[in-house]
Amino acid sequence: MSNKKNSKGNFLSRKQFELLIVCITTGFIIGYSYNQAKDNKMSSPLNSQLFAQEDSYREELIEQQERNKELAEESNRLQEKIREYEKKFASNENEYEQLVEEAEDLRLLLGNLTGEGKGIRVTLQDGEYDPTSVNPNDYIVHESHVFKVLNELKISGAQAITINGQRLMANSFIQCNGPVITVDGKQHPAPFVIEAVGDSATLSASLNLKGGVINQLLNENIVVTVEENQKLIMSKVKVES
Amino acid sequence: MWLPFLGLLLGIAFGLLTNIQIPTVYENYLSIAVLAALDTLFGGIRAQLQQVYDDKVFMSGFFFNIMLAAGLAFLGVHLGVDLYLAAIFAFGVRLFQNIAIIRRILLTKWDEKRHKKKIYP
Repeated sequence: MSNKKNSKGNFLSRKQFELLIVCITTGFIIGYSYNQAKDNKMSSPLNSQLFAQEDSYREELIEQQERNKELAEESNRLQEKIREYEKKFASNENEYEQLVEEAEDLRLLLGNLTGEGKGIRVTLQDGEYDPTSVNPNDYIVHESHVFKVLNELKISGAQAITINGQRLMANSFIQCNGPVITVDGKQHPAPFVIEAVGDSATLSASLNLKGGVINQLLNENIVVTVEENQKLIMSKVKVES
Repeated sequence: MWLPFLGLLLGIAFGLLTNIQIPTVYENYLSIAVLAALDTLFGGIRAQLQQVYDDKVFMSGFFFNIMLAAGLAFLGVHLGVDLYLAAIFAFGVRLFQNIAIIRRILLTKWDEKRHKKKIYP
């Protein structure tokens, strides 16, 4: 009943005020929903456009990634190849080095090169004249002795060898010719000086083995002297045509 | 009589002018709020026409219904069950009932008026 009084007295009664608030709220909600729906409608084509763009970008990205993958694989393959080549090259280089060394050794042995370097000098001399011995062969140097020394030296890695200054070649021949020996047709009398270029320590050690060449030679009454030389020079052989 | 309509128009204009974006998750709440508001409004009109209108019931109903609907929607979202459908169903049924009652009352009134005119020309 007080409401009625109010409504009559005031311009805006309590009831009307409340109704106004409710109406405003309802109107607001409705308008807002309408706005929202409109926004959604408007934004949906935009969204689809964005989606399409995103899709295309994604596809592009995938394409690029695949391309990247292919390129990476190719790069890997090529690198593998390069590594193989390098390995091959390195082994070839090693081989080349070995071959060059071998060729050098062989040339030295052949006498095509001037032998130079550390070396050893072995002198074989006939033994002292022994009046008790009947056979002079017992105390003179035979070519077999020279052979022994030469073989031992070659086995031990001598690179270039001379006998009395004459260079030995691969096809050199040594003959016994009475009291002298013939090297490639040249006669050399005793004492025989055999020079060899090589690792002097190894050479002398191999010669001096117990029961080795020098022991045998000494047993056969031959005077052997071994000296290590710091520097030996052996001129190369002039090939006669 | 013109005041509620003015308020409604004012509210609609206000809502159209507002440009706040709400997350998609809360669009359910909005639909329920619309239904609740409409239901309460038509309920109020019906009550007025039936002359049982009480502004306390009207106001409490308006806000309580909106809050209940929003709460149901909230619960539904968090439980993974579409509970807001219950609110929409209830409000929708009541909305149609209210409108039917209003229509009938208005029709009766109109008929009475015509009768009076005929009787007293």
